[in-house]
Amino acid sequence: MKKEPVDICIIGSGAGGAPMALELGRAGFKVVVLEKGPHYQPGDFVHDEILNSRRNFFMPLPWEEPHLVRQGPQGRYERSNAAWTANCVGGGTVHMSGYFYRLKPVDFRLRSTLGAIPGTTVADWPISYEELAPFYDVAEAELGVSGEAVPHPFAEPRSGPYPLPPLDVHPIAHEVDRVCGELGWHSLPTARGIISRPYRGRAGCAYCALCGSYGCEMGAKSGTNASLIPAALATGNVELRPLCMARSVEVDEEGRARSVVYLDADGVEQEQPAKVVVVSCTAVESARLLLNSVSNRFPRGLANGSEQVGRNLVFSSFGESRATFRVSKQKAARPWLLNPAPFVNRSVQDFYLMPDERFGFRKGGTLGFMWTHPNPIFAAVGLAGSGTAGVFGKELKERMRAYRDSRILQFEVYGEFLPTPGTSVTVVPEVKDKYDIPVAAITLDRHPMDFAATRFLVERGEEILLRLEPDDVQRVGTSGETTILQHGTCRFGDDPATSVLNRDCRAHEVPNLYVVDGSFMPTAGSVPSTLTIVANSFRVARGLVARMKQGL
Amino acid sequence: MDRRSFLQRLTFFGGGVVLLGSGACKCSSSSEAPSQAESNVDPARLTFTSAEYALVAAACERILPRDEDPGAKDAGVPVYIDRMLRTPELAQMRRDFVQGVAALERRSHRMFQVGFAQAAPAQQDELLAIFKDSPEGSGEAHFYELLLVLTLEGFLGDPSYGGNQAGVGWKLVGFDTVGSIAMAPPEGWDGPKCLHTCGRHP
Repeated sequence: MKKEPVDICIIGSGAGGAPMALELGRAGFKVVVLEKGPHYQPGDFVHDEILNSRRNFFMPLPWEEPHLVRQGPQGRYERSNAAWTANCVGGGTVHMSGYFYRLKPVDFRLRSTLGAIPGTTVADWPISYEELAPFYDVAEAELGVSGEAVPHPFAEPRSGPYPLPPLDVHPIAHEVDRVCGELGWHSLPTARGIISRPYRGRAGCAYCALCGSYGCEMGAKSGTNASLIPAALATGNVELRPLCMARSVEVDEEGRARSVVYLDADGVEQEQPAKVVVVSCTAVESARLLLNSVSNRFPRGLANGSEQVGRNLVFSSFGESRATFRVSKQKAARPWLLNPAPFVNRSVQDFYLMPDERFGFRKGGTLGFMWTHPNPIFAAVGLAGSGTAGVFGKELKERMRAYRDSRILQFEVYGEFLPTPGTSVTVVPEVKDKYDIPVAAITLDRHPMDFAATRFLVERGEEILLRLEPDDVQRVGTSGETTILQHGTCRFGDDPATSVLNRDCRAHEVPNLYVVDGSFMPTAGSVPSTLTIVANSFRVARGLVARMKQGL
Repeated sequence: MDRRSFLQRLTFFGGGVVLLGSGACKCSSSSEAPSQAESNVDPARLTFTSAEYALVAAACERILPRDEDPGAKDAGVPVYIDRMLRTPELAQMRRDFVQGVAALERRSHRMFQVGFAQAAPAQQDELLAIFKDSPEGSGEAHFYELLLVLTLEGFLGDPSYGGNQAGVGWKLVGFDTVGSIAMAPPEGWDGPKCLHTCGRHP
């Protein structure tokens, strides 16, 4: 059925979609937001590991809505639920941990900085840090970010302090500060998308320790579900339609986006005409939607005349190690180990960009320090191991008791992939999801430099952990991908031959089509990208509002 | 482990078989009538016959035996598994699991001439180890993995699912700083103040 036309139809309510909805609603335009997942309320967020982390509360079932993933163009596709973020109002910002870093000026001109790297498609951004910086300010204020800016070699310029003071941290943060100082490195407070004090009608953090993979029942985590979406709805101009799965963006004879065809909560096909269509379903899913939006005018997919949609996919590299402190052995000397404070909130960025290639790479990344996630089932499954190395019975119980006697500090590496010609998203027509829509198929073809960089960062992180004198340090891994951080599939640029979007994140080929999730990012920065996506979306929204007010 | 990495790895295990179910499984599980094919299910149970239930109880007690701390049966793990496998989305897993139970029973008769539940603990351990060490992708290894993970879920999950009774699993691993639905902070609760004055969450 054809719905009443609106000014803007936005697909997705997460980090990219929500700022657009808010700004356009504020400017008085009629907005419809389509969200494929449900609209959870704070009362739906309970501290239940089985529900939140082990079932389909956030993530779709792989046999209903798979992603296909293969290693290299010769690899075999495997069904996976990798590269999904939460399917609900607020998207990935609902179950994020909320590590809210900004990119650094160098991230906007990586090609110029590194020169040509064979086997990669690294490109400069068409905008500079200075152009995005005011919108980082807006994003931090609108969402509510707690942090403290300190000087360090890679500190990005800021116009002022964070909107909220930093969250209280565990005493071990000061130990991390101390040993980093001994090494001549800089331990930085990690800004968080969690409000440390009441802010704009929201309650401050309760320090319950369950941020990542959980929704926040306090509303203290600055997901768009707790901040931008309620504000957007309050404008009275924004209609949110949960449980609506977009199938395609339709075009008119002139090649302009005309409407969005979607399946509503009852599975009935609907068509929402709009003057402007904004796509923001994650880098993987947005590419899928465009590639599935086939027409006479765009036989290879919408805005895909130059065959760039889905290319240049960038995830974050994965690297992690853990230090275990046995409380019974160490508590006399370090009574603060018993402190239950959940946050460490320390980062090291001294290796963000190396001065030369002596270690086999130049673009490094960020180390983020945190306590291991407290989910007990997850921990116990790890303790039990698997296969011939697995244990059960008395040995498993001994390990679980040892775990009770442990405080486990870990770091994660954030380091962008170097984009390569082979790492990409396509659609496979013969594999369809429960909506009968062809699913996204991901090919990973990574550049060897990524692994050198990740290993180097993990080794530096382990130096820090060892200096804390734990009872044990274990490396979890130095390869692998953090697919929840995804970018690049509709990169923006000034040349329509090598990019999908222009600097306003408007499709080169479709003048009223915008993409505002991580897809636009030609390089990803070596930090989690949520804040950057929100900031860019505010930037794009302000530009769109100005143009629409001029009747363009 | 942060959410990105664990969401990635958590949901998958056992050669691509996924342990997932409905978010609403808490409500739906008990209200559903057993299908015809499973009409010989013990009336007190939702998934298993009495004999199957006895085997499951014995097997998960070997995964987490009672020693100075409570074991799987003390925590209600068999009840949890029996309930959880009624989740409609887990139909395939239920079939796999019940087949695995039968295979374990057959192996016990072949090796020790008694049913698994009647075998001595050392014999039960031997049988479970054979399943555990079976080649990756085999039915035996798959069943062992399901048994292990369901046992750990039942031991350490929210008590509202029927396992982890009185929070015995959480006590064993020291998961007492955060907790269940009932332990979500009340409205107006001052977390920072609590941290600094009590030193521990209630």
